[in-house]
Amino acid sequence: MSNSVGDETGAVRLANQGGASATLISFLKQGMDVGVFDAVLVPMRVPAGDAFAYVLIRDIALLDDACPLPPIVAVQGGKVVSRLTRLGNGDLKVVAVMRPCELRATIELAKLGQTNLSNITLVSMDCPGALALAKFIKDPEGGTEIFEKAAQDWRDEDLRPICQICHHATMISGDLHLGLLGGDENHLLLISNSEKGDEIVRRLGLTIGEKSSVRVTEVQRVTQKRLAKREEWRSEFESRVKGISNLINSLETCINCHNCMRVCPLCYCRLCYFDSENVRHPADDYIDQAMAKGSLRLPPGTLLFHLGRMTHMSLMCVSCGACEDACPASIPIAQIFSFVADKAQRTFDYVPGRCIDDALPLTVYRENELHEVDEDE
Amino acid sequence: MTKRIGVFICECGTNISDKIDINKVIEEVASLEDVVVAESAKLLCSPEGRISLEKRIKQEALTHLVVAACSPRDHQQTFMSVCKRAGMNPYLLQLVNIREQCAWITEDSARATEKAIRMIRTAISRVRYHVRLEKREIVVNSDVLVVGGGIAGIEISLMLACPDRTVYLVEKSTILGGMARRFERVFPGMDKYSEVLETKIGRVLEHQNIRVLTASDLEQIIGFYGNFEARVRCKIEGEVTRNLNVGAVVLTIGSQPSDPSGIEKYGYGEIDNVLTALEFEEMNRSGQIALCNGSLPTSVAIVHCVGREEKGYCSEVCCMYALKFARYLRERVPYAKVSLLYSEMCIPGKTYQRFCEETLGDNVKLVRSSNVRVWEKDEGKAVSYLDEGGAEQTLIVDMVILAPAIEPTSDARRIAEIAGIPLSIDGFFAEQHEKLGPVATSKEGVFIAGCAQGPKSISDTLVQADAAAGLILSSLVPGRRMEVEAETSQILESFCQGCRSCISVCSYGAITFDERMKVARVNEVICRGCGNCAASCPSGAASIRHSTCDQIYQEITEATR
Repeated sequence: MSNSVGDETGAVRLANQGGASATLISFLKQGMDVGVFDAVLVPMRVPAGDAFAYVLIRDIALLDDACPLPPIVAVQGGKVVSRLTRLGNGDLKVVAVMRPCELRATIELAKLGQTNLSNITLVSMDCPGALALAKFIKDPEGGTEIFEKAAQDWRDEDLRPICQICHHATMISGDLHLGLLGGDENHLLLISNSEKGDEIVRRLGLTIGEKSSVRVTEVQRVTQKRLAKREEWRSEFESRVKGISNLINSLETCINCHNCMRVCPLCYCRLCYFDSENVRHPADDYIDQAMAKGSLRLPPGTLLFHLGRMTHMSLMCVSCGACEDACPASIPIAQIFSFVADKAQRTFDYVPGRCIDDALPLTVYRENELHEVDEDE
Repeated sequence: MTKRIGVFICECGTNISDKIDINKVIEEVASLEDVVVAESAKLLCSPEGRISLEKRIKQEALTHLVVAACSPRDHQQTFMSVCKRAGMNPYLLQLVNIREQCAWITEDSARATEKAIRMIRTAISRVRYHVRLEKREIVVNSDVLVVGGGIAGIEISLMLACPDRTVYLVEKSTILGGMARRFERVFPGMDKYSEVLETKIGRVLEHQNIRVLTASDLEQIIGFYGNFEARVRCKIEGEVTRNLNVGAVVLTIGSQPSDPSGIEKYGYGEIDNVLTALEFEEMNRSGQIALCNGSLPTSVAIVHCVGREEKGYCSEVCCMYALKFARYLRERVPYAKVSLLYSEMCIPGKTYQRFCEETLGDNVKLVRSSNVRVWEKDEGKAVSYLDEGGAEQTLIVDMVILAPAIEPTSDARRIAEIAGIPLSIDGFFAEQHEKLGPVATSKEGVFIAGCAQGPKSISDTLVQADAAAGLILSSLVPGRRMEVEAETSQILESFCQGCRSCISVCSYGAITFDERMKVARVNEVICRGCGNCAASCPSGAASIRHSTCDQIYQEITEATR
C-alpha cells in the first residue's frame, strides 16, 4: 500500500453487472468461489430492513444480500476490523469492504496495534457520501431513495455535512478500490494498490488495462468541488466555533453521554480517561470550585473532554462522521474535529490512512519539522 | 493515618526575606488543614539549619514536609537527606522554589509575598498525595564494551581487563590495529610502531578477560551507567547477534582521511603520481618508493592542509607526518628534493620542533605557500602556489603527496545515534566539555577516546585512552552497588490497550511489548522516569511515580484556585 490518491497506474475493467454493488458482489463471489479469500466482511441490511450491520460471510450464497455501499455508516468499519483481528488474525483470508474513511481508520488502527492486517484484504470504492443516521432511521425507504439518487450523480446536498466537505472520498489506500467515477454502463474500474491486490487480480485472471483518464478528470472535479465547499464552510464555521468562548457555546448542548468517543474508531483506549476515576473528585473539590467561580456546572469538564479527545486523536481523525451521527444533541462535532484535524495534520504533512508506512507524527522525530514554534523565530 | 505536615521557609540569608514577608507567609499557611508546623530559618541548607530541621521533623512527628527555599537543582538532595536522617521517607518532601521563581523575579514585595503563599499552598496540596517510594539498589556491572579496535581501543582494553572485569572489544573489520597498523614508523621517534602494536594486539588476543569480536557491528545500546545492554551483530558466523551486559561503553572508532578527489585543483585521480598520504605510507611500507613507470622520484612536493579550508579545522598530525615522509624519502631516495608546501606549521610541544629542525636540510625545504594547485606541464607535474609575497611560483616535480584533512568515519553518525551522544559541528563525537570532561560525553557511562573525538597523534590518543580507562576504573568498581531511579514509569496492565506509542517514544529502550498479553511493560531498572511514555499514552495506563495524576491535579487545582 504505497500509492496515494491519483497514483494508480492502471485499472481492471470489470463488466458492469447493473451497478456498483452488484458488480462488486459478483467480484467477491468470484473470489470466494476460486478460493482467493475465505470470507467477506461487508455491510448487510438487517432483517428488519431499517439498518445495516457488518457481517462476516462464509456462505457464498449470502453475498447476494450484501450491501457494499449502504446509505449510512452504522458501525465504523475500522472498529469492526479491530474487533476481528486485534487479538490474533486467525487463518482465514478475509476481504473487508468499507468506505474510504472507514478503511483509513483501519490503517491508522493498524499503526497502533489495534488491527492486524496480515490476513485482511481491504477493499473500498469511491464514496459519494452517506446519509445522516437519524435521517435514515426516521424514514428508511425515503432515505434509501435519496442516497441512491445521490450516488448516481454525486449530488450530495442531502447527505451528511461532513460528507459534503470530504475531499478524500476517492482516496485509494487499501488493497483494491472500485472506481465508481470513470466507469460507464458497460464497465467499472477495479484498481489494485498493493501486492495483495495484484495477487488477487492475477489469480482471478483479470487483466490490468490503461489508467482511465475519465476517472482522473472526474476525481478531480469531485475533489475540487468538495474542497471549494470545505473552504467556504470553514470560514463560516470558524466565525461560530473558533476561540474558547465560541467553542464552549458550540458544545453547550453536550449531555456528557460520550457517545462520540464510544463510536470513534480512533478512540481505542480500553477505558477513556474521561470516564475514569481520575476525573471524579470528592464533593469538597466541587464545592471549592463552585465557591471560587461562583457556580459550577456538573458534571464538570465538558470542554476538557472534547479538547482531550481532540488532543489524542485529531492527528489521526479521518472525518468519518461517526461522532456526529451518534450525537443526540446535534452538535456538529465531526465538522469541528475535521477542521481542527486539518490544521494539526497539515502541521506534520500527515494524511491519516494514506499509507501504513507513514509513521504517526508523534512517534517520530524529524529535524525539519515544527520550526514555526522554534524559540528564536 | 492523620497527616502532620510541616512547612519550613528558608530566608536564604536575605535572598528571600528581603522580598517576601516571611511572617505573613507563616501566618497564612499555619492555619491550613493538616499543617502542624510553619516556621522559618535563616539558612536551612547550612549545617545548623539541617540539624535543626531534622530535629523538628522528629519532635513534631511530621508525616510530610514542605520546604520553601531555592531550586531543587541546588538542594533537593540536601533536604531529601535530612528527611532520611530524620526517619522520614524522602519522597514525602516537596521543595518549593520561592527564591529563583519568586523572590528574585517578582518586583513588587506584596505580590511576591502573595505568590509565595500560593506556591506553598500548592505544594501542601501536592505533598498530601505523595507516597513513600523506595530506591532500589543494584550491583554495578563492571564489564566494559569498547567499540573500535584501533590503538585507543586496544590500550583501554588492556588497561581495564582483569579477573573482575571482562572487556568486550568490538571491531568492524576482521583485524585489530586500526589506522596505525598501516604506518611503518611513527613520529617523532621514528620507531617501528608496528612492532609495539603487534605485541599489544597479541596481549589482547591472549588476555583471559578480553573478548574480541571482530567483523562485528554495534546495533543498539540501552540502559545507563553501570547497567547497559548492548546488541552487537557479527557479520560472519552467519550474522549472529549477541547481547552484552556492560557497565560502560567506550567509543574508539577512529577517523578517516578525506578524499581529495573532491577538490579539483590538486588533480588527484586525474594526474599520475599524485598520491594521498596513506597511499604513500603504503608504498613506503612495501619497501619501494617509485613512480608509476617504476623509476625513482627526483623531486617530490608534499602538500599540507589539503581540504583544511573546506573542513574548517586543522587536522593536527599532517605537518608532522609530512616531515616523517621527508625522512622516509631521505632514507630510500637520498638525492630526491623534497618541498613541503605548508601554510602554517603545526609542530607544538617539546619534541616536534626539534624533529622538524632535524628533518630539514639541503634536500628538504619548507615552502610557505597558499593557493596550491597541481597541473601537468609537458612531461612533469607543476605545482603552482602563491609565495609569502603573493607572487605566483611554480615548482616542477615528479611526485606529489597530498595530506588530506582527517574527517569522522562514515559510521560516526550512526554510532552516535545508537549511543545517544551528540556530534560536534564537524561530525566528530562531542566530548562533554573541552576542559571539564574531555573524554566523557553528555551520556553518563559513554566515553570517547582517540580520533573519533577529533584528529590527534598517537601519543594524544593514548593519553585519552588512559584517561577514559582511569575514569572507568575509579567509578565502575566491581561489586559496588548503585541506586536506581525510584521515580520510574509504571504501566497499568488493565488500562493498556497495546498501541505501543510509549515504546516508540521511550528514549531509554526501557519498555517492551508483551506479545501474549498485548500490553507494554516497563523495565524499571532501565527506566529513568523521563515521562515520555506517560505523555504519549492516551489511556493513562502509563504514569510516572511521584508525578501521578492525583498529584498534578491537586497541584494545578490549588495553583489556579
